[in-house]
Amino acid sequence: MSPAGTAGNAGNAVDDAAGQHPAKALDDTVHQRIRLGILAVAHQARRAEFGFLRTTLDLTAGNLGQHLTVLEKAALIAVEKGYEGRRPRTWITLTPAGERALRDEVAQLKRLIHQIETADAT
Amino acid sequence: MTDASVPLPGTPREVLSGLGELTRRVRAVQRDAWIPLLLFGLVTLGGVLVGRLTFQQTVVPCPGGPAAPGDTCTVMRQGSSVYWTTATLAAYAATAWWYLHRARRRGVGTPVRPYVLAGAAAVAALAVTTWWGASQPAPGADLDLWGLHLAADTRGTRLVQQFLGGAAAVGVPLLVLARIDRSRALALFALGYLLIELTPVTFGWWGAAAGPWSALSRHGVPALYLLTGALLFALANRRARPQAAA
Repeated sequence: MSPAGTAGNAGNAVDDAAGQHPAKALDDTVHQRIRLGILAVAHQARRAEFGFLRTTLDLTAGNLGQHLTVLEKAALIAVEKGYEGRRPRTWITLTPAGERALRDEVAQLKRLIHQIETADAT
Repeated sequence: MTDASVPLPGTPREVLSGLGELTRRVRAVQRDAWIPLLLFGLVTLGGVLVGRLTFQQTVVPCPGGPAAPGDTCTVMRQGSSVYWTTATLAAYAATAWWYLHRARRRGVGTPVRPYVLAGAAAVAALAVTTWWGASQPAPGADLDLWGLHLAADTRGTRLVQQFLGGAAAVGVPLLVLARIDRSRALALFALGYLLIELTPVTFGWWGAAAGPWSALSRHGVPALYLLTGALLFALANRRARPQAAA
């Protein structure tokens, strides 16, 4: 396989038989790699604390906060603020829409890889 | 800290690989299988001491067979249903508490509920079995369990009795935990444990009580297996965590 382009510019791949090219089906809100990372971590963790996300993804609090706001506005995550003892804690969980979005994203990426490989083979 | 630290570089294949890496990191943080292994290892080891302390010999009328009427048989009993039920229950409660506590401290969720439910069901099975075993008129007679007729001292009967001990109470929930943790190593370990508990070893160290310390041979091997597993899984966790945090 030759080095592929990014998901958005895999120009040599043919369009999917079903119609839309998988790259076009990628949701920009989800496909952004940090947000995709947040969704992946929250999916596996079921419930991820802000600090854990920040450490795992190695982000600044401000950067992570911005991406969480985007995901929350898109109703892909739910943010729950509370306390553990005296320490304020923020917990992030995926909404059903977030679970679906992550699943769709992974499926589109797999389709994209398949298309690139198919195009390379011909 | 920049966006470049997120392991999700450009190509679709790299993005998927990065997602897999993130998932592995989270799993490494969630796993703590060494705790139940340690607890059940200690509970099983404690069973040896309980077996020694509760060992007793009684003389009862023989249940049948070639013995003449009036003949008596010596029955040796050891073990305590109260110990196994409470100790197993306490081990599950402690495991659940540990998982929840550590998950909260680490900032991740834990899908511990199925394990706790499997554990509770196992404790119930253990309690019913020990109660049922204690209610039998005498060892050596045929047994009836929930409509299942078990002929005395057959391989099938012994297998059922063995399964309704450590295998059901510890082994099956361990498989549930392996599924939760998505850990092939733990699944293999649990299968190994089930094999130890269920294999009809015939060199005389399992089965009915033969002496005050007979529980040592019956519980010693599974206890050692569980404690060794606890050590190995704890070491593996220690090795995986720094990588997960990196």
